[in-house]
Amino acid sequence: MQPAADSPVIEFRDVSYRVGGTQVLSGFNLQVMRGETLVLLGRSGSGKTTSLKLVNRLLSPTSGEILVKGVSNAEGDVIRLRRSIGYVIQDVGLFPHFSVERNIGLVPTIEGWSDDRVRARVKELLKTVGLAADTGQRYPHQLSGGQRQRVGVARALAADPEILLMDEPFGALDPITRDELQREFLLLQQRLSKTVVFVTHDLREALRLGSRIALMEAGRLVTVLAPGEFLRSADPLASAYVRAFGEGLESAANRGTS
Amino acid sequence: MSFLVSYFQFILQNHSQVLELTLEHLRLVGFSTLFAMLIGIPLGIVIAHRPRFNKPVLASANIIQTIPSLALFGFLLPVPWLGERADRLAILALTLYALLPIIRNTYTGIRGVDPAVVEAGRGMGLTESQLLFQVELPLAVSVILSGVRVAVVISIGLATIAAAIGAGGLGEFIFRGLAMVDDRVILAGAIPAAILALVADFGVGWLERRLQPR
Amino acid sequence: MRARRFIICVSALAALAAVPSCSPSHPDRIVVGSKNFTESFLLGEIIAQQIEVHTHLQVERRFYLAGTYICQQAILAGRIDVYPEYTGTALTAILKQPASGAKQDVYQRVKSEYESRFGLTLGPSFGFNDTFAMEMRGEDARRLNIKTLSQTAAFAPQWRAGFGYEFMERPDGYRGLAATYGLHFAEQPRIMDLGLLARALKDHQIDLAAGNTTDGLIPALDLFVLEDDRHYFPPYEAVPVIRQQTLQQYPEIGQALAQLAGKISEEEMQRLNYAVDGQHRDAKEVVHEFLRAKKLVQ
Repeated sequence: MQPAADSPVIEFRDVSYRVGGTQVLSGFNLQVMRGETLVLLGRSGSGKTTSLKLVNRLLSPTSGEILVKGVSNAEGDVIRLRRSIGYVIQDVGLFPHFSVERNIGLVPTIEGWSDDRVRARVKELLKTVGLAADTGQRYPHQLSGGQRQRVGVARALAADPEILLMDEPFGALDPITRDELQREFLLLQQRLSKTVVFVTHDLREALRLGSRIALMEAGRLVTVLAPGEFLRSADPLASAYVRAFGEGLESAANRGTS
Repeated sequence: MSFLVSYFQFILQNHSQVLELTLEHLRLVGFSTLFAMLIGIPLGIVIAHRPRFNKPVLASANIIQTIPSLALFGFLLPVPWLGERADRLAILALTLYALLPIIRNTYTGIRGVDPAVVEAGRGMGLTESQLLFQVELPLAVSVILSGVRVAVVISIGLATIAAAIGAGGLGEFIFRGLAMVDDRVILAGAIPAAILALVADFGVGWLERRLQPR
Repeated sequence: MRARRFIICVSALAALAAVPSCSPSHPDRIVVGSKNFTESFLLGEIIAQQIEVHTHLQVERRFYLAGTYICQQAILAGRIDVYPEYTGTALTAILKQPASGAKQDVYQRVKSEYESRFGLTLGPSFGFNDTFAMEMRGEDARRLNIKTLSQTAAFAPQWRAGFGYEFMERPDGYRGLAATYGLHFAEQPRIMDLGLLARALKDHQIDLAAGNTTDGLIPALDLFVLEDDRHYFPPYEAVPVIRQQTLQQYPEIGQALAQLAGKISEEEMQRLNYAVDGQHRDAKEVVHEFLRAKKLVQ
């Protein structure tokens, strides 16, 4: 039995996923360690979003298994699993008929937290994601895209999950807001040290945010590299990516401090 | 002008009968709409979540709508238990006619909920029933109600025909007035029925707007 | 929560539906119904005025209901309390049994079935039979000394007959009649509009017609109704049908209706029908006059 600190929080063992006639994922093996930000990088159709959804069982693998904290996620209550994992998606998916406060506090509320505890937690989270305290009373349609995604992150963090799954969370935002949120994500990660699986097709974002980058293509894992290694990698696909993204990647790899 | 006067006199003199027939009418419409909602809304939810069934269900409801109402009343007359009491039969027939707008609007309403919202909700760990009752239904309620509104207005109209088979209601004034060749009697049924339809349309419409998600 | 509001809406609708059915239909009021032809609503008006005068009850009229089935549904649902019906019609249209038997027989059968199956009962007969009437010109009847249908068999080969469409088609219409009485006409009977039959008879275009025994034109045009001595036509005695519950609640209605028993003969019904159809008099007045003449009201 390995000591807890060394065992992976999430592990994909020989996972494949087939839907209709298409093999979306095959022979996928990957470990995600505690406190790291693992980026799944790839083009559309590479299987990265599918992999993410396999973790919280929004999808079930055709073969193989996914272990979360050492236990196969096919066993046990799927609802409990999902409530212990934060989930942030590109379109945010805030409930339009709930106030921001109610949106953020949803999981704690259905988990039975007292109203006071929920309110306090929401206040804390609004501060954490950089939103004004009175934002809690407003409704999603009154917020900008960036504000909405901050609420999405706050919502995902509400029950203090160990794991965060993020599917191109900043993809729909303008470059300035995206840059802001990326910077804040880094600060948040420094403080909270969550285990994050982050999906993106943007190499710049991957280099900036990831502790390791898992490059995927056509449903297969091509290589897993730290940002610096990625830039210098001889792997044909990795270098193709680097070329495609052109200038300024060094500074991204250095966490955006130019 | 003098016709209007004599019409109002007629209503005043027979106000208890007008009230009674109006209540009979409301009973037919009320029960049938209620049953249609109890059957149609769950059915609409099911086909929204399992699109495989949506064609047969919607097609069946559509076929029922195309049957002329008087013909449907006639078909059902010989049915045992149902045919024995005209109001049972009328309520069944009216329920069938109310199904299509309610099923279809429930289906559209639920399907119209932003898929990102549903995905986020599911991913957060909401159970299917929490998702349905706290997210999907509240967001779809305005569209569903608009289907109910259409159903109610249709029913109020169809219920006037139900009098032809003895189910009572405001249609009875209309048929009696035709037999007596007395316009006042005809209008004693027609005008209240029209007013009922307008009030229902306005009332449910107001509710729709109140419940619309921002 | 939104879901709660939705449930409230549904409950409101449910309450709306339930309320009208909970309240009593018409407390302290008696509703008299009738079908949509003159004789029926005359009888309805007779019942109504009789109840109004002899009891303290308020009477509401729901006349011109479009037929036997509608009336039956209305009285079963309690929307009307009493209406005039015919024993033969009750037997065939409601109880779905073949119409045959003597007057009292049919009356008893209908009464007991209605009581056991529907919670309805029959009041005493008004005193006349509204059934098919085979009519001939009064002058011919007197000249040939004919009183019964059996006697017409001898003359039938020399006559032309005229009937309405329904009489020709019904199994208990022309076919049965011809068979029962051995009637053979020179030509096939002419099918005519009911309204024209009496005129055609008067104008010697036909010699025998099928009408109704209480037809208002019979006395007016001096027509003679032949006796159905072989009892071919089923009895259609006019009777009040009333809800047993209403009778139990207001026994005074039973007494009021009992006073009408046997008070209207065929000729009298003919005269009443003619007053309204032929002379276009107001039905209420006609009825009031009639009840006064019978010393039933002041």
